[in-house]
Order: sequence, then C-alpha cells, then structure tokens
Amino acid sequence: MLTAFVMMLVLGAILGLGLGIADKFLSVEADERVEKVTSMLPNYNCGSCGYAGCSGLAEALVNGEVTVVGTCRPSKPDVKQAIADYLNNTPGPDGNCCKVKP
Amino acid sequence: MDWSHLFVMFVTFVLINNVILNQFLGMCPFMGVSKKSSSALGMGLAVTFVIVAASLVTYGLYYVVLVPLKLEYMDLITFILVIAALVQLVEMIIKKSSPSLYKALGVYLPLITTNCVVLNVTLNNIINEFTFSEMLVYSTAIPLGFTLVIYIFSTIRERLEACETLPSWKGNPIALIVAGIMALAFSGLLGLV
Repeated sequence: MLTAFVMMLVLGAILGLGLGIADKFLSVEADERVEKVTSMLPNYNCGSCGYAGCSGLAEALVNGEVTVVGTCRPSKPDVKQAIADYLNNTPGPDGNCCKVKP
Repeated sequence: MDWSHLFVMFVTFVLINNVILNQFLGMCPFMGVSKKSSSALGMGLAVTFVIVAASLVTYGLYYVVLVPLKLEYMDLITFILVIAALVQLVEMIIKKSSPSLYKALGVYLPLITTNCVVLNVTLNNIINEFTFSEMLVYSTAIPLGFTLVIYIFSTIRERLEACETLPSWKGNPIALIVAGIMALAFSGLLGLV
C-alpha cells in the first residue's frame, strides 16, 4: 500500500518536473490582455456566447471578432463596462486599442 | 526475430483490425477533426506521437517499476498519468511550432488525453504480453491505421462539402453514413491474412 503511494508520488513529481522544464523552453508569448479579460469574465464557461469557454470569448474580444461585451450574458453590467473600458484604453502589442461596446 | 510474424501483425493492425473502422475506438477525433485533410493529418501525427511515446514509457514503467514492486494493479492509473503528461507536452510543442495547426485542432488536442485509442494500446501491450518488438510494431501500426483512415475520411468529406445532399443529411449525418460504408469496405480486407 505504502509503496503504491510513494510510487505515484515519485512518478507525479518526475512528470510534473519534466512538464515544468518543457514549459520554460516551449513557452509562447501571449497577449496579456487575453489573460486579463479572461479573469474579468465570470468564468462560468457556460458557452452562451458561442465560444467554448470564457478564454475563447476573451480571445475573440481582443482579436476584434466580437465587439460587444454583452455577448457574455451572465456578466454584470458594471463588469461589462469595466472590460470595455479596459480594452478601449489598453493598447496591444501592435499599439492599437480595441473598440468594444459594453 | 520472426520478421514475417511482425509483418503480418503490422498489416493486421493497420488494415484488418483497424482501430477506427473495426474496433470503433477514437470516434471523437474521427468525426470532429476530419473536416479538413490538413488538420486530419495533423491530428493523426499528434496521436501517432503520443501513442508511440506513451507505449514506450508505459511498457518500460510496467516491467521496470510496477512488476518488481508487485504493483501490477496500479497499471491503469499510472498509464493515465503518463498519457496526460505526454499530451500536455505535445500541446506545448504544437503551440510553439505550429499555431495554425494548434488552432485547427482546437479542443480535440487536449482531448487526446481521453482518446481511448491511446489507453487501449498501452493496456493491450500488457494484457497481450507482447515482447518489446511486438509492442513497437503494435504501437506504430494502430496509430498509422488511425491516421490512414482519418485522412481518407477527411478527403471524402472535403468532396462531400461540394456535393449536393439532402438538406437534412448535410454535415454530420452524411459523414456518419460514409463512415459506415468505409467500415463495410474495410471489412472486405478480412480475408487478407
């Protein structure tokens, strides 16, 4: 019984370490706005916006595919306003701001 | 080494006991990523890499760690752990090397974790008590059969898009019928070996 626990622990540690090292080498520069908007959305991942999850909608908002934050139905009006304000005032890597309505 | 035995095994698992059309495993990516032949090929290659790597690691793990420690009953959970880690690795590699393929595969890339083909191959390596060379042949033949069928199917579906079908059959229904006809056609290969 104990060996099983130890074995799983060691295996998990080795795999986790491997993935951690791989993440260092294979990390991709991501637009930080996507992360920020994802954290502002409700994170219910309900899918009512038509995307697979909140991160999908956040990416679409940053790309300009979606221009109305109201596509996300569960979020509160003040949160929608905050996301719109954030995106309208924060320039991306190319120096342009998104134009979105709450 | 018995080369003819290995060759027969290879042909059997690529064409006759095909993992999709004969064993009906891995239907999720088969239906989901077969709309475009380029993404189907990418999916096939990703699955091939995961299966070969997972087979090597789990086979070694089972006979080097689990058997001496008398932990054979832990095979399922350790194999799932290894597969999940490997899929994460593949996801990172594809995200870095080919963002377009990453986008095309979408949610089906992390879903390789739960792709029953991968677990099926790793467990069958143990259950059938394959030798090392048999294990290598088995774990390359199964994903090659997968890639072959998903690629053929995606080319058929690309043609189907341009064809006139009944409105109620458009999309997935006609694709399922095509898959059934393909399974029938592949069953004709049964007399090959």
